[in-house]
Amino acid sequence: MTTLTVTQNFGKGAKDIAVYRKLGGYSTIGQKLFDLSQFEMIDLVQRSGLRGRGGAGFPTGMKWSFVPRGGKPVYLVVNADEGEPGTFKDHVLMQEDPHRLIEGMILCGWALGVRTAYIYVRGEFLPAIETLNAAIKQAYEAGFLGENIQGSGYSLDIYVHRGAGAYICGEETALINSLEGFKGQPRLKPPFPAVSGAWASPTCVNNVETLMALPWIFENGAEAYAAMGTPKSTGTKVFSVSGDVKRPGVYEVPLGTPLMELLESDKYCQGVVGKLKGVIPGGSSSPVLTVEEAAKATMDYEALAALKTMLGSGAVVVFNETRSVVGMLASLTRFYAHESCGQCTPCREGTGYADRILKTVVAGKGRDGDLENMLSLADNFSYTTICPLASADAGPIQNFIGKYRAEFDAVVARNPEHADERVTPAFRPGAFW
Amino acid sequence: MGHCHKHVDQPKAEEILPKLEVPSVLSRVEELIRRYPVPRSALLQVLWLAQETLGWLPQEAIKWAAAKCSVSPVHAYGVSTFYTMYKKEPTGRFFLQICQNVSCHVLGAEDIIAHAERTLGISSHGGTTSDDLFTLLRVECLGACGNGPVMQVNDDFATDVVDGKLAMPAGVALTAERFDKIVAWCRDRAKSLSKEPKRDATGGIFESKGHPGAKGAVSQAQGFYAPVPPALGVAAVRTDDGKVKLTWRAAPETTTLHIEKKTGSDFAVAASISGKEKEWLDDAAEGTEYRIVTETAQGRGKASNVAKAPAAKGA
Amino acid sequence: MSNFYHMPVLPKPDAKKVTINVDGADVEVPEGTNLVEALKTIGIDTPHFCYHQDLPVSGNCRQCMVETDGPRGMGLAIACYTPVRAGMKVATDRSSDKVKQARQAVMEFQLANHPLDCPICDKAGECSLQDNYMAAGRHESRMREDIGKLYKGSPEFRHEDAKGQERGGKHVDLGPTVILDQERCILCDRCVRFMRSVAGEEQLYINQRGDHAFLSTFPGMELKHDYDLNVTDICPVGALTGKHFRFRQRVWNLSKTETIDPFDSLGANITVEHNDGQAWRIMPRRNPEVNKSWISNRTRLEYQKLSKDRLTAGSFQKAEVPLAQAVARAGELVRGARKVAVVASGTLTLEDNAALQALVAGLDKKAELFSGSWAKVGSPDGIAQSGDPVGNRLGLKLLGISENLDELVARAKEFDVLLVAGHDLWALDAQKAKALEAIPERIVLSPWHDATTAKATLSVGVRAWAEVRGTMVNCQGRIQMLNAAPILPSPDLEPVWQVVSSIGKLGWTSELDAYKAAQAGIPALAGINYRGIGSQGRLLEGVVA
Repeated sequence: MTTLTVTQNFGKGAKDIAVYRKLGGYSTIGQKLFDLSQFEMIDLVQRSGLRGRGGAGFPTGMKWSFVPRGGKPVYLVVNADEGEPGTFKDHVLMQEDPHRLIEGMILCGWALGVRTAYIYVRGEFLPAIETLNAAIKQAYEAGFLGENIQGSGYSLDIYVHRGAGAYICGEETALINSLEGFKGQPRLKPPFPAVSGAWASPTCVNNVETLMALPWIFENGAEAYAAMGTPKSTGTKVFSVSGDVKRPGVYEVPLGTPLMELLESDKYCQGVVGKLKGVIPGGSSSPVLTVEEAAKATMDYEALAALKTMLGSGAVVVFNETRSVVGMLASLTRFYAHESCGQCTPCREGTGYADRILKTVVAGKGRDGDLENMLSLADNFSYTTICPLASADAGPIQNFIGKYRAEFDAVVARNPEHADERVTPAFRPGAFW
Repeated sequence: MGHCHKHVDQPKAEEILPKLEVPSVLSRVEELIRRYPVPRSALLQVLWLAQETLGWLPQEAIKWAAAKCSVSPVHAYGVSTFYTMYKKEPTGRFFLQICQNVSCHVLGAEDIIAHAERTLGISSHGGTTSDDLFTLLRVECLGACGNGPVMQVNDDFATDVVDGKLAMPAGVALTAERFDKIVAWCRDRAKSLSKEPKRDATGGIFESKGHPGAKGAVSQAQGFYAPVPPALGVAAVRTDDGKVKLTWRAAPETTTLHIEKKTGSDFAVAASISGKEKEWLDDAAEGTEYRIVTETAQGRGKASNVAKAPAAKGA
Repeated sequence: MSNFYHMPVLPKPDAKKVTINVDGADVEVPEGTNLVEALKTIGIDTPHFCYHQDLPVSGNCRQCMVETDGPRGMGLAIACYTPVRAGMKVATDRSSDKVKQARQAVMEFQLANHPLDCPICDKAGECSLQDNYMAAGRHESRMREDIGKLYKGSPEFRHEDAKGQERGGKHVDLGPTVILDQERCILCDRCVRFMRSVAGEEQLYINQRGDHAFLSTFPGMELKHDYDLNVTDICPVGALTGKHFRFRQRVWNLSKTETIDPFDSLGANITVEHNDGQAWRIMPRRNPEVNKSWISNRTRLEYQKLSKDRLTAGSFQKAEVPLAQAVARAGELVRGARKVAVVASGTLTLEDNAALQALVAGLDKKAELFSGSWAKVGSPDGIAQSGDPVGNRLGLKLLGISENLDELVARAKEFDVLLVAGHDLWALDAQKAKALEAIPERIVLSPWHDATTAKATLSVGVRAWAEVRGTMVNCQGRIQMLNAAPILPSPDLEPVWQVVSSIGKLGWTSELDAYKAAQAGIPALAGINYRGIGSQGRLLEGVVA
């Protein structure tokens, strides 16, 4: 039986604080916490090896240790702007177990001296926002939020901030800009948010899942958490699996679990629908894995990096032999062109141009050299911008074309049966907005 | 909606302000502004509120939000056009957004979109039916890929109708039949309910004290409520030249480290060194016990674990 | 975007030097500054669009890419936001193919959706896109024409042209002074940052996002500010152009003369740009201690007056007379007068005023020197104006000329000849000036037909401020040079000091004679010659506490 650290309350009605407490919730918010210094709390998280679950996989304890104490107010901002195509775990987590997030925020808040925390939820998740607000209200009434939490002298307020439709706000400095009332455009770094973030104060931005792992770690100890997973990728991870599998959904498994186990096991996805063609292992930005690569992949940060892809947000998109990779790439390039914030020249003009080339190809008007141009553009706009969005577009372009070249060549050669013409009927600038 | 490219006839200020300048809206604006250290930060929420009240976001409403949040009108305009969910033109009563991104695409979103276009007779690039009932828009990832292809009807996810309600049961994807079912549900609802009830666009806000630094809120600095951080992981090793070397981890705010050595049955302070030090050397026999007590501006922390000096090398 | 927190750290003259390695050679550069500035000190220009010395760093154009060493080896970084660190390694396009490729790539992206309408663009010739394109050197296009461009523009300006190509906003009227071409805009957001952090009124913004982003004001609102024309200078392309200069001149035909604005006591540093003997525009000239890179619209449009209503000859008893004759007549009147009132002016140079001083001294007890101004004094706007319209007020004070114009009004009846230079007294306060009409002979030296020349019995045309060489002392105690642009409306016109020299038979032949006289009167000028003043002026010691 896999130990669940985040999703153990799924399907048990834990939205209600009474149920959540009956399941052991909020038990960490007591004397054990109040006797602990901030330094010890950060040390605990560092020892657990917990890494950011939003995509970058940065060690959480280390991120916390950068936050200065005793000066300006420290803000905690929860990144619930889940927008990476293929990712939907935070959506489900917030809907199923909002109090665990609140509990995790209290633990993080204690460790960093946070007085005010914000949960930045993407605008499309209004039902989740309603769930969160209801939970926050219950937590206030039960004395877990507000002033002098459980008589400890510690006070914490949590507010939900509704985003309004911008994928780039998942980037932490863009998220902070959006929280501050600006356009969600990433900031130049340094300074990093831990030193100067929201309102030029130290700001800790953590993913929903990261914070939701904290209550378990605090209750069971860093060593118990570190014992799960692999030595460098400790603990469990929640994967969002979608696409051609029998049972798509959200599954929590220890890091290091083989990808095929996740897809084939009866406990999880129960197998691929049709004949497997490829897997995107970590959200749309992560390079695609072919069948052979997928067979040897294990789901941890290091193993996937060795396959030149990444764990990212843990969004597994599975596709079978009947799917056109050209159409898939077209939907991705359209997405990144749509979501470019428009700040840096290479990303603003490049993602759009690459998308228009591919649209032309998909529309059956491809020419020799179009794919080379796309690859060259992708090369030119990756790693030359403020944030990684352009690189996230370049990855799929390079990998889809690189790994499924024959299929692309067939479309360029106006072979309509390989082309998914319905992506956009005909090219008309601006029409797809 | 989204990045609208059409020119839209704009209502005049005097047409919309009477709807916005009402106590129920103003009190919520006040509540939202109190949540942030500066009013500007409430801009996104106040724009939501204006959209909730008017059904869409005309230019005069953007100006109104700008004034409420003490930002320039053009700032609010830039912000409102940056985000796709602010509607720059009115939509039909049921705003259908179908995801066209990769997971949904793989599972046939384009077929559903084509079906929707045919069924409703409108474009999926923001077309509205002539009875103003439906607006159809293809959108990027809605964050419910496990149910792909998915659709949102106004603010709710809907891939099916269950017990007379829109629903997105686990694993249930949108199909052409389910789409028709949802459309039929919408039409029925339009017959039985004259208009959609208002829904709080900020997700049900409640009265709070607000940000400690915000206007009207009780200002309270976050004090040092937590205990003084002790030294962690104290360890003693023997150096090549036979000395005992103590190492530890200490919090950055530590001012002084009191190194205690056990003599007899009691620990006594052997040295007090700066909190910035990383190690300390001593001449001592095997088995000598050390522990460290930290001091910060707040006071003294609890004693650390006890470390024993190891045997001399080669001994 | 809130990157507007970070102003660039510019090199200070006394900054500590550190050694860095650029393209394989160790060089010394000022510590703490950004790489664009550091490389400039060793003669390497880094191409850029969005970076501007006097604006917060935005770092969005990505053109200034260099390679620097980091924890993961050499990697691309933007020079405008990378601070100099002792011992760092830097590779520019001179040694790094990666940098060359990156800069070429950014240029290709910049031009992908740019209209390339240089032949009808006012910026052509001083356009960063053109310059950086030539420098980056990818000169053949690989874009497919049939894919088309995605022109930028507000929804209300989008339209389809005859070829079926969707177009953006081509001539968006932003307000009283500026026209916007949204298609040409490269979204560097310099203008947005200028309006926000320098002008202090956010009137422009980049709206929408991605390649659909466009620059605009709030729909239906205007760009209107005393300094709004500065956005046309800092616009690296032809997106923002001033109505006053659109389609007037090709910039490569313009010659430049460095001078200052004499109608404000801050003395904003400017360049008068002229062609064919006419001034076509005034541009700000950067002086970090005075006006940074900014000038007010008032300063900028002063050039329009240089060719309007000019007094190019003399006028005696309402009849036009040749200049030489008018000057001779003025000399006779002054020298033969019972008592002369001479009015010096703070809008004239030290040289002119020194001449007036020498004239009065030469006439001994027969003449008295007055000065002062009835112009309203405002308050500093914190950008490029002090608010005091008398540019050389401090210079006059240093020459020992007291502000006693009202005393002249009270004692007008004592005089039989009045000599006014550089003042439009009747325009500033006709009521007070009326008393001066009691003086029977009124000689006025003026570049323009104005209210005062209208009241003159003898008027003499002189050179205007942009046509003379001389010096002024600004309100900071900084002596600054005016230089003469070759734009005289009549070749016979002489500077005030020369006319005064003729009237008083002072025998001065060059402005250096006049400057020497000023030096004699102002101890702080000792040892400072024109060259020592230089293009950035020189702070006089002990003049302003």
